[in-house]
Amino acid sequence: MGFLESLQDTWVAHLVAESLWGYPTLETIHTVGMALLIGSLGLINIRILGFKPELPILETRKLLPLAWLGFTLNAISGTLLFTSDATMFYESYTFRLKIFLIILGGINAGLLGSKVYQNAPVGVPVTPTTGAKWLAGTSLVFWFGAIICGRLIAYTP
Amino acid sequence: MLELFRWLQHTFIADAIRDSRWMYPAIETGHYIGLSLLVGGIMLIDLRVLGFARTLPLRSMIGLLPFVWVGFIINVLTGSLLFIYGASNFGVNHAFWLKMTFMVLAGLNAFAFDLSVTRSKVDWVAADRPPTYVKTFATLSFALWICVVTTGRWMAYL
Repeated sequence: MGFLESLQDTWVAHLVAESLWGYPTLETIHTVGMALLIGSLGLINIRILGFKPELPILETRKLLPLAWLGFTLNAISGTLLFTSDATMFYESYTFRLKIFLIILGGINAGLLGSKVYQNAPVGVPVTPTTGAKWLAGTSLVFWFGAIICGRLIAYTP
Repeated sequence: MLELFRWLQHTFIADAIRDSRWMYPAIETGHYIGLSLLVGGIMLIDLRVLGFARTLPLRSMIGLLPFVWVGFIINVLTGSLLFIYGASNFGVNHAFWLKMTFMVLAGLNAFAFDLSVTRSKVDWVAADRPPTYVKTFATLSFALWICVVTTGRWMAYL
């Protein structure tokens, strides 16, 4: 526990925990980042599942920078929020589940990228395989699961 | 007004939310899921109008609006329940009224955007050439929804 306690005692952690604007500002950034990440990744996933067939699948990778932007915003704001109360977050099962779901979501996105975007034949419309559809479906479950866990950290052990 | 808020806060709906351990967190979680659909969808449409990811057809990106509407309806419902639960606190919360103001502005802006899609004489959607005023609506929409999220978050701190 030594590490978490010293993390919680850094000037950054104190700034986040004690300043009037620190925590709400980071929470706001975390919420906007969430909308960017889930909006763009969610659209890619539902497209692979067969919705909006008029969107060319291969071109949906243009949305990935937006997903990365959302992810980066949330990794940074999330880490800073974590430092403010590191031992509480670390001990929370809901928080651990959230991190676990994010890791699964990340692995899932990597697999999906290599299955759908890489090695795609040029000039031929891409039809997602059943495997890709499963990945897209589970991706939605992981990311929405992460949102649910994130909200419930405050209410659960 | 305060009378009304006090009355709301003691309706059976408010009591049911207060008496249950899981109802408030569940409604709040629903509000976040709705937010992801609503704000995530709106930001995608706005950015596409502004020229981001041009290889995705503009018309089908504007066609994401049904998802935005689903998110909006989820959030009106969950938001109303959360308001009823704490009406006399939220009713005097400056961040709450700012949030409502931004929502009305964002709504008017969305209406103007919609009119410029349906009433425009030139089909700028098919041509993928949004006029400058439409790009202004998209920029305003992006900024206004971030303001809605921000003031929503700040409600807990004022």
